[in-house]
Amino acid sequence: LVSGVRGPPPSPFVLRARRSMDKSGMPWHLRYLGQPEIGDKNRHALVRNCVDIATSDNLTDFLVEMGFRMDHEFVAKGHVFRKGIMKIVVYKIFRILMPGNTESIEPLSLSYLVELNVVAPAGQDVVSDDMRNFAEQLKPLVHLEKIDPKRLM
Amino acid sequence: REEKQLELTLEALISQVADLKNSLVSFIYKLENEYDRLTWPSVLDSFALLSGQLNTLNKVLKHEKTPLLRNQVIIPLVLSPDRDEEIMRQTEGRVPVFSHEVVPDHLRTKPDPEVEEQEKQLITDAARISPDVAQKQIQSLNKMCSNLLEKISKEERESESGGLRQNKQTFNPADTNALVAAVAFGKGLSNRRPPGSGGSVQSGQPGAGGIIAGASGMQQVPMSGAPAQQQPMMAGVQMAQAGQPGK
Repeated sequence: LVSGVRGPPPSPFVLRARRSMDKSGMPWHLRYLGQPEIGDKNRHALVRNCVDIATSDNLTDFLVEMGFRMDHEFVAKGHVFRKGIMKIVVYKIFRILMPGNTESIEPLSLSYLVELNVVAPAGQDVVSDDMRNFAEQLKPLVHLEKIDPKRLM
Repeated sequence: REEKQLELTLEALISQVADLKNSLVSFIYKLENEYDRLTWPSVLDSFALLSGQLNTLNKVLKHEKTPLLRNQVIIPLVLSPDRDEEIMRQTEGRVPVFSHEVVPDHLRTKPDPEVEEQEKQLITDAARISPDVAQKQIQSLNKMCSNLLEKISKEERESESGGLRQNKQTFNPADTNALVAAVAFGKGLSNRRPPGSGGSVQSGQPGAGGIIAGASGMQQVPMSGAPAQQQPMMAGVQMAQAGQPGK
């Protein structure tokens, strides 16, 4: 389950909160993702500043109290694979038909999204080369490429 | 220190050779027991495996940390015609005795007589022809090889573009874009609120992208109640940025 919470205007500050639906008792995961770094064509992967926090269950109430409004939420079901520091997540995105009710969901599309991401200390650009090499190995089954979310606005 | 290098190399060599032996064993087994059901691709696979292992073996030998094995000499220290249990165990029962007849076979460095003959002949042939004739031969060989390579790659390209169309498309770019948009900012999800006065999502902090680049990328701080505390951003970033989560 993921929900993005938007900050109070005029600063649209997005925090993403996530919780596990099949395991109860696991902490919520809050994450801040910054703007993509402009590395031009050199880097093969999208790089964003990232702050990760694990929290307890009252996160949504807390964020509402802090002034955040929920922006969107969806359910992601799939698999996580790990290779060293690389994480590959294959998941299907489901739309939540009734807000807050995670049982009534419908898939957004028939495809799964395959995402390769790495969380690494700042400045290690060589990681993107490793990611690129790994992505090459997965061709032609999967074509992994750098996708800039801003382009899809 | 050199002894250590030698030991390491020997160990690597032993492991490579053991791998090679295992794949040979499985290949032989396959050939002997399943010969009526064997297909060419599977045989090709076994050959490829063997060639790959030989390759790694060669690489180990050429590795810069390998001492010159040519300078080392293997001398049998003890030859005895009795059965030796240790050797039996290590060679899986094939060499029971470390004796005078076994040693020359196993420790030989000269190639077979037939191979020697062929080598000698090749050397005399090569010495016979003059250098420019040799050069011309080399050039024609290179040209033929490159021609062949070109033909093969062209064939592959043409057949691939024809064949892939029949194959199932493994990905759908439109779907990919839609999914990424949904994950990134909720496009297409039912309970999305319109952006309103905030405008587009990313335009709120124009300077933030460049400055935060210097800050630490990953902070996993398991806090129980207050997630929006100051994350200690290093590299001299203004504290104004860090204050935003708490705003």
